[in-house]
Amino acid sequence: MTKVVGEEPKPEQEIIRARQRDQARITAWLLGGFVVLMFLIAVAKVATGK
Amino acid sequence: MTKPAALPADWRDLFALTKPRVMSLVVFTALCGLLAAPSMPPFIIGFTAILCIALAAGSAGALNQWYESDLDAKMKRTANRPIPSGRLDRQTALHFAVGLGFFSVILMELATNWLAAVLLAASILFYVLIYTVWLKRRTAQNIVIGGAAGAFPPLIGWVAATGRIDLLPVLLFATIFLWTPPHFWALSLFVRSDYAAANVPMMPVVAGAPATRRQILIYSVIMAVAAVAPWALGLTGWIFGGTAAILGLLFVAFAIPVARNTATDPKMMGPEKRLFAFSILYLFILFASLVADRWLLA
Repeated sequence: MTKVVGEEPKPEQEIIRARQRDQARITAWLLGGFVVLMFLIAVAKVATGK
Repeated sequence: MTKPAALPADWRDLFALTKPRVMSLVVFTALCGLLAAPSMPPFIIGFTAILCIALAAGSAGALNQWYESDLDAKMKRTANRPIPSGRLDRQTALHFAVGLGFFSVILMELATNWLAAVLLAASILFYVLIYTVWLKRRTAQNIVIGGAAGAFPPLIGWVAATGRIDLLPVLLFATIFLWTPPHFWALSLFVRSDYAAANVPMMPVVAGAPATRRQILIYSVIMAVAAVAPWALGLTGWIFGGTAAILGLLFVAFAIPVARNTATDPKMMGPEKRLFAFSILYLFILFASLVADRWLLA
């Protein structure tokens, strides 16, 4: 990867990247949680015969 | 001129959009409604039902902030919310709120039953369309009718567990419905200038402080009586009945100084601030006693 000498990343770009990373991480956790939740709901429903 | 591209939303602002403090009371009353029901669903189903109610409350709160961002900008108490402060754009807020609402209702239907899902959808629509869009800017009775939206959670919790509507959760609904006016009017008395600045026709702005104080006392007495009704009708035991009676007397005791107060300066409104704080505690203890009654006397 070529790095341009003397070109500092702008603070706004840093904020955008940080927020995008946060969003991606939170979305991944929420999706994972949702899958686990749906699995557990299915198990509970099967167990109670509904 | 082209507007600069908006920053991606910060998750903290999206979280703040859901009114987490209001949500805590919603979750607690819903949980108590579920735990007071005669039949218990499996843990994960109960957990999902409460999660759905919390998400639906978050959706309703976010839609409220999306619609009222112009009002919020004019009021000191709300000017720093994510939309009026410019930290979050309205479109992101709308997408987030609608998505959350649909998700909560669909998940509720999948996990529990269609009646709970319908009531959940009705509670969101009632809060957004009836209270926020229709009543809030038009009538001083906004909080009286709109209070029904906040009364749904224990009913939904009960229905999620049982699949049917019974008299007890309807009486719990009535108690919160009657609790809302004294709770909000006590607040609106000491933040009256905020509502006046935003042109919101809250009772103290439209009818004046003396009329509001009288109404607070009247509603407090009716609510105190309604709260004892489940015990009087034999639907709960003495733990709930005794707690409701004592708390009701205390509530009226806090409302009397408010009715007598003639202060117009918010700094002199100690009784109003005390009633507002007690009203929150009242609801927490009343609903906790309902669960204690159900589990200790069952």
